[in-house]
Amino acid sequence: MAAVQGGMGDADIKTDIKTEPSADGFGNNNANDGRVLSASPGSSSSTGSNKQTAPVTPEDQQTLLAVLQFLKKNKLTESVEILRREAGLPENSLDPKANESAGAGSGGAAGIVDLEGGDASSLLSRVTGSSSAGAQAPTKVAEDQPDVSVVLSAYSQQGDPTLYKVYYRDLKKFIETVLDCHRAELSQVFYPLFVHMYLELVYNNHESEAKAFFEKFSGDQECYYEEDLRILSGLTKKEHMRGNETLLDFRTSKFVLRISRDSYQLLKRHLQERQNNQIWNIIQEHLYIDIFDGMPRSKSQIDAMSGSLAGEAKREANKTKVYYGLLKEPEIELPLDDEDEEAENEEGKPKKKKPKKDSVGSKSKKQDPNAPSQNRIPLPELKDSDKLDKIMYMKEATKRIRLGPDNLPSVCFYTFLNAYQGLTAVDLTDDSSLIAGGFADSTVRVWSVTPKKLRKVKSAADLNLIDKESDDVLERIMDEKTASESKIMYGHSGPVYGISFSPDRNYLLSSSEDGTVRLWSLLTFTCLVAYKGHNYPVWDTQFSPYGYYFVSGGHDRVARLWATDHYQPLRIFSGHLADITCTRFHPNSNYVATGSSDRTIRLWDVLSGNCVRIFTGHKGPIHSLAFSPNGKFLASGATDGRVLLWDIGHGLMVGELKGHTDTIYSLRFSRDGEILASGSMDNTVRLWDAMKAFDDLETDDFTAATGHIHLQDNSQELLLGTYTTKSTPVIHLHFTRRNLLLAAGAFNP
Amino acid sequence: MSAPKTIPKDAQVMIQILKDMGITEYEPRVINQMLEFTYRYVTTIIEDAKTYASHANKSNVDADDIRLAIQCRMDQSFTSPPPRDFLLEVARQKNQTPLPLIKPYTGPRLPPDRYCLTAPNYRLKSIQKKFLFQVSSSAGRISVPRLSVGAVTSRPTTPTLGTPSVQSVTTKVGTPVSLTGQRFTVQIPPPSQTTTTKPTTPSTPAVSNVLINPSLIGSKNILITTNMVSQNSGGESLKRKHEDDDDYDTL
Repeated sequence: MAAVQGGMGDADIKTDIKTEPSADGFGNNNANDGRVLSASPGSSSSTGSNKQTAPVTPEDQQTLLAVLQFLKKNKLTESVEILRREAGLPENSLDPKANESAGAGSGGAAGIVDLEGGDASSLLSRVTGSSSAGAQAPTKVAEDQPDVSVVLSAYSQQGDPTLYKVYYRDLKKFIETVLDCHRAELSQVFYPLFVHMYLELVYNNHESEAKAFFEKFSGDQECYYEEDLRILSGLTKKEHMRGNETLLDFRTSKFVLRISRDSYQLLKRHLQERQNNQIWNIIQEHLYIDIFDGMPRSKSQIDAMSGSLAGEAKREANKTKVYYGLLKEPEIELPLDDEDEEAENEEGKPKKKKPKKDSVGSKSKKQDPNAPSQNRIPLPELKDSDKLDKIMYMKEATKRIRLGPDNLPSVCFYTFLNAYQGLTAVDLTDDSSLIAGGFADSTVRVWSVTPKKLRKVKSAADLNLIDKESDDVLERIMDEKTASESKIMYGHSGPVYGISFSPDRNYLLSSSEDGTVRLWSLLTFTCLVAYKGHNYPVWDTQFSPYGYYFVSGGHDRVARLWATDHYQPLRIFSGHLADITCTRFHPNSNYVATGSSDRTIRLWDVLSGNCVRIFTGHKGPIHSLAFSPNGKFLASGATDGRVLLWDIGHGLMVGELKGHTDTIYSLRFSRDGEILASGSMDNTVRLWDAMKAFDDLETDDFTAATGHIHLQDNSQELLLGTYTTKSTPVIHLHFTRRNLLLAAGAFNP
Repeated sequence: MSAPKTIPKDAQVMIQILKDMGITEYEPRVINQMLEFTYRYVTTIIEDAKTYASHANKSNVDADDIRLAIQCRMDQSFTSPPPRDFLLEVARQKNQTPLPLIKPYTGPRLPPDRYCLTAPNYRLKSIQKKFLFQVSSSAGRISVPRLSVGAVTSRPTTPTLGTPSVQSVTTKVGTPVSLTGQRFTVQIPPPSQTTTTKPTTPSTPAVSNVLINPSLIGSKNILITTNMVSQNSGGESLKRKHEDDDDYDTL
C-alpha cells in the first residue's frame, strides 16, 4: 500500500496517492527518518502539487501542522522531531486555524449538503477507514480527526490548477493509443472527468484556469452532451453552482460507467503508474465503474445507452423482479340483458388483452406469473357505474378495428384555435367523450366531443324533487339550464401543465406551475381539492387506470403518489437528478414510470416506493412515455426526436425509432398494441409498427449479464406513415375504443 | 408601434447575454421579459436595501445593506428545491408506511372537509325582525346555491325572518335534516314543494330561520335546514328562501 515518497532530506511535503485505495488506517504508514508519510489513504491527496520547500504560505503551514498533529497522534515522535526540525516549526504547533476549519467543515453537515462539508466528510470517512459515502458528514467522527482531515481536504481540492490541463491531455493521449476495442469504452471516461475537473476548478475559485480548461477540451466531448456543456460554460463562479440543484446532485452522486474488465485494467494500470494522480482520485471519488466480464462494447452500443446525466444504469439497478403482467379483469355479472350475455361471454373479456404472447385472458384461470396479485396494492372496488362502464367497453371492443401495417387507423385531429400559444396540456376520457385543455392563463376548459352537451347537476333542492327510482335518474339529475358546449374552470394561479381524466369520468386532475394539483368534479365543474406538496411547478400528473390513485411529478425532482382521499402523498419517488417531466402509470397500476430532464426513465414500485428500473439512452429530456397495453414494454420520446422502446422485464432497450426531427410530446399505443403513434413538435404524427418491433425479441437471447444490445437499424421499415399538419405541433394522441386515432394540438401559425 | 431604429442599450445587453449563453433562437418577447425581470429585481433589492439602511439609522445605503437585501430575497423568492439526500431521506420515511386500505362504498373519496375546497366561503348575517315582511315575499323561489370557489353564481340564501337567534348557516332547526350518503345532498323534510316560484303569501311569519347553503359539491356538505314553515298553508313549506339581492343589501 502506501506508496510513499519523498526523498530523504527533502523537506517537501508530498502527499502522494496510494496506489490502491485501501481502507487501512494510518497505522502502517510509518515514516522512517525523514520520510513523510503519505496522507491518509486515498484521501485527496494528491495532486502532486509539490509546493515549495519552505512552507511560507498559510496553507502549507496549516498542512504541516496537520501532518504534525497526525504524527503525534500516532506517536511517531521521531518523525515529529525530524519534521519539525526541517520545516522549522515552532514548538507548540497546534493550530487554531485548523480547528476553525474543522468547525466549519462539520458544521456543514446539517440539512443542506454543503459541498465542502460533503467532500470533507467523504475524506473523513476514507480516513477513518469506513466507506466513503459522500453523503452527509458523520459528525461523530473521532474528535481528533476533523482538523487533520479538513485541512487535508482543503488541500486536496487545491490540485494545481494549471496542471489539470496536463493531466487531461495525458489521459487523452493514452486513450488514443489504446487498442481499438478498448478505446470506445475508455472514452466514456472523458465526459464525467471533464465535468468534474471543471467543477473542481470553479469550486476552488480558479476562474481563469477553469475557462481555459473548458475552452480547450469542451470541443472533444460527445455531441450529445452539448446542452450540458452550454450550461457549464455559463457557470464560472462558485456562487453560480450554489443555486443549481442539478449540478450539485451531479457532483455528489456517482456517474456510472460500465466498462469491461480488460479495459478497466488497462486504465487502472496506466493511472497508477503515474505519480500525479489527480485523475485517479477523481475517478475514485466521483465515478462508479461497473465492471463486467466479457467483450468490450462497441462505440455504437455505448452511444445507444449513454447520454444521461448520471451515466448508465448499474446492473443491479435493473435486476429487481417487476410484475409487468396485467391484473385479471373481474367477472362482471351482466345484468338484465340476457341476449347480450352470450355474446359478451364469448368475446368479452380477452378482447382487450393481448393476443399472441401470453394468455392472460380469463379463459385461463391460472395466474400469470408475471402479473402482480390482485391485492398487492389496495385498489378501489368496482361500483355499479364502473360495471356499466365495463360493459360499454366490452361492447365497443367488439366493434374495434384490427390495425396493422396494411390497415392503418384514420386520424382525426382536434385543433385548438385562438389559443395564442397558451395550450399546455390536453387529455381525453377513455371513451373519448370529453376533451380537456390546460392553458397558460391558468384555466382548465372541458369540451364535449360528442354532440351531447355538458351539464351540471342540479342543486340540492331540485335533486330532492326528482324521482330517485326512475330508470333514467342519471339524466334527471342533470340541470338542463346549464347545458353548454364547454365549461371553464378557474382556480389555478399558474399555467396548467398536466391534465388527466379519471377512468370513471367523474373527476379531472390538473397540475400547474403554482405547485398544486387540483381535483375538479365533472358533475358540478368546480374544484374539490387542491393537493399541496410540491412547492415547485408540477409538470405532469396522471390518474391510475383504476382511479383513486394519481401520480404527479415536477421541478422538485420527486414524483409523488397520492390518493384522492388523502391530503398528503402516500409515496415519494425520489432519485432523479433533474426535474421530472412525465409520469405514467403501468396498466396494472403497480408501477409508475417517470421521465426526467436528466435523460433517464425510472420505473418505481408503488408498493415499496423503490426504483426498480433505470433506463438510460436518451440524449435529451424525456417528454412522453407510453406503456404497451400488455404491460411488457415502454416507449419513450424525448427532445432528441427518437422514440426508444424498452423491455421492462429484462430492463433493456429493444428498439429505436428514428424519424422525427423535433421533440416528441405524445406517444400512444393502439388498443391492442399493434401500432405505436407518435406526435411531435415537428407538426407530424407518425405511425410505427409495434408488432414487428417487438416481434423479434421473442427469440432473442438477452444477454442480461452484460446488457449488450444489438439494435437493428430498421426505423424505416417500422415507419408506417407520416401525417403532417399545417402548422400544429401534436401534443396529445388518443386511440378510441374502436381504434380510431384522435390527435390534439394548438394551431401555431 | 414601429420598432425604434436603434435598440436601447439595455436591450442590447440582453441580446448579448443570450448570445454568450449560446442561445440562438428565441422569440422577441424574451428580451422584453428579461428587461422587465431585471428592472423589477433590481428595484426590489434597492428598495429593500434602503429599508434596511434606514432601519440601521444609516444615511446612505452601503454594500452590506445590498448584500442583506439580496440574501433575504434569495431565501424568499428564489429558493431551490431541497437537495437530493434530504429528499431521499424523506422518501425513505414516507415509503415505509404501507398503503392504506380502501374502505368500500364510501361515495366520493375526498380528504377530510378541512382540506377540501368545498365549504361555503361566506357567512350570513342575522336579520332583524322588522324586515320580515319584505323578505318573506321573496320566499318560495328555489335557489340554486351552488357553491363554487371563485364562481359568482351562487345566490345566498338567507335566513328569513324570524327569530333573532338565528345565525348563519348550519343550524338545524326543527326537523332534522337527513343526510343521505348520496352524492348530492339533500334533503330536508317534506314534501310537497313545487319548485315553482309561487310566492308564498306574506302571511307566514312563522318562518324561521336559516338556511344554508347546500353546497352541492362533493357530498359531504351541506346542510340545510328547515324551515318551520309548517305553518304555511298548504304546501309551501319553504325549504329555502332566497333573498333578493336588494334585500341583502339592506342588511
